[in-house]
Amino acid sequence: MIELKNVSTIYDDSLMALRGINLKIGQGEFVSLVGPSGAGKSTLLRLLTREISPQEGEVVLDSVDLATLSSGEVPVLRRKIGTVYQDFKLLSNKNAFENVAFALEVCGVDEDQVKDDVPKVLNIVGLSDKVNSFPHQLSGGEKQRLAIARALIHRPRIILADEPTGNLDMVNAHDVVELLMKINKLGTTVILATHNREVVNAIGKRVVTMEKGKIVRDQGDNGKYVI
Amino acid sequence: MKKSFQRIVKVGWTNFKRNRYISVGTTGVMVLVLVLFSGLMAVNFLSSQLVANLQEKVDVSAYFKTDISEEEILSVKSELESLNNVKKVEYVSAGQALDEFKERHAGDAVIQDSLAELDFNPLQASLNIKADDSSQFASIVQFLEANKFRSVIDKINFYENEKVIGRLQSISGGIQNWGFIITMLLAVIAVLVTFNTIRLTIYNQRQEIEIMKLVGGSNWHIKAPYLVEGGLYGAFAAAVTVVIFYPAIFLVSSKIELLMPGVSLMSYFLSNMFQFLFLVFSVGVLLGVVSSFVAIRRFLKV
Repeated sequence: MIELKNVSTIYDDSLMALRGINLKIGQGEFVSLVGPSGAGKSTLLRLLTREISPQEGEVVLDSVDLATLSSGEVPVLRRKIGTVYQDFKLLSNKNAFENVAFALEVCGVDEDQVKDDVPKVLNIVGLSDKVNSFPHQLSGGEKQRLAIARALIHRPRIILADEPTGNLDMVNAHDVVELLMKINKLGTTVILATHNREVVNAIGKRVVTMEKGKIVRDQGDNGKYVI
Repeated sequence: MKKSFQRIVKVGWTNFKRNRYISVGTTGVMVLVLVLFSGLMAVNFLSSQLVANLQEKVDVSAYFKTDISEEEILSVKSELESLNNVKKVEYVSAGQALDEFKERHAGDAVIQDSLAELDFNPLQASLNIKADDSSQFASIVQFLEANKFRSVIDKINFYENEKVIGRLQSISGGIQNWGFIITMLLAVIAVLVTFNTIRLTIYNQRQEIEIMKLVGGSNWHIKAPYLVEGGLYGAFAAAVTVVIFYPAIFLVSSKIELLMPGVSLMSYFLSNMFQFLFLVFSVGVLLGVVSSFVAIRRFLKV
């Protein structure tokens, strides 16, 4: 369902972030994307949400080359994907409920269903008592769980998690990974970009290792973080 | 459709309330802008009154030979009235002119004595002509000087007044032109100040906008509440402006009336209150919405 064909990207300062990437990810897979900082993990994820476009090659999702999408179709693409970031990217002037509800509202879901679904998802991530809290009133772990709730709410087929444990302690990191694995079990494709060795080794799923913009290793099930 | 409109208004209102400090600051700047607008309206009204007063003072009198009958003079009057650039023609008979002259010089014994010596009325009957516009006098005078009337009219005081009329015309023209230029200049500054203030407000929220885009918000879904927020700044600013402006006008009005008798700012703004409210509110809301619309565009390119 996701395919990168010979993809290269160059940033403005002529720095090449990705070089000739070829990668296929099937529906329902859990892929850990590992490598040191600057390896190109985040760039790869940003290609999938079309925050950036490759200078060479194709990024194909469900047989559609993302380069062919019009600017009006990009939001539709993003609604198919749930994204979790290291810096949470929560809306600071919206409370927990509204942050999650926003992702549903943009999909055109009616108000009654929003009122019905949001508390359920907040419950799944263990935030049912923080419905009215604003992001600045939440701890790091809670913020990340809220971000996951937002990524889940519209039942996306793909979840992209970019260093979701980067700002969390071990316990919270573990909780977040557990959540991602649960979501994956329900059939959602999860791509987790991280350089946290313990996390990756504990998951025991496919591991794609990147270095200097290239894929240097692609291990199937029970892959390990090897440098 | 109705529900999504309700959502947009609700979100806009919530944002407005939650960004309290920013909202108060932006609204405050817009209040200054709208007070400036209202002040310009007051100044424009005063200058137009000033020009009208000056124009009102300008007239031309045609004096008739003493042997001309009243019927003949009245026929000239009706011909003049049929001209479309003539505003008003007033007939002053020789008797009336004498009465007015006596009245005006009631305290002057020499004049009174000299008049008593005379056994005839030395004053002439006249037609006092007011034009729609003082620049029209030349053509009216030309009409009177045509052959038809040359035999009945003794003199026309236009040539004595011509310089004064010309000067009044250039003064009132100057007031109108400069008033327009200054109004436009200040209006442009006001628009730029509003636009920049709202731009800064939205710039503060650029990350939020980026996040909404990343979550899959369409441009309109993200933009609409900001437009509502911009409109709310304008609406609140308009309300505050009205609350400041009317008492200010009330205080100033009587002082202006001392300088320009018969000109009442207060009654002008009271009798045109609905138009004024409509104008201030629409300018405020429109400025807010359009500024938000322009300012948000560049942050939507994610």
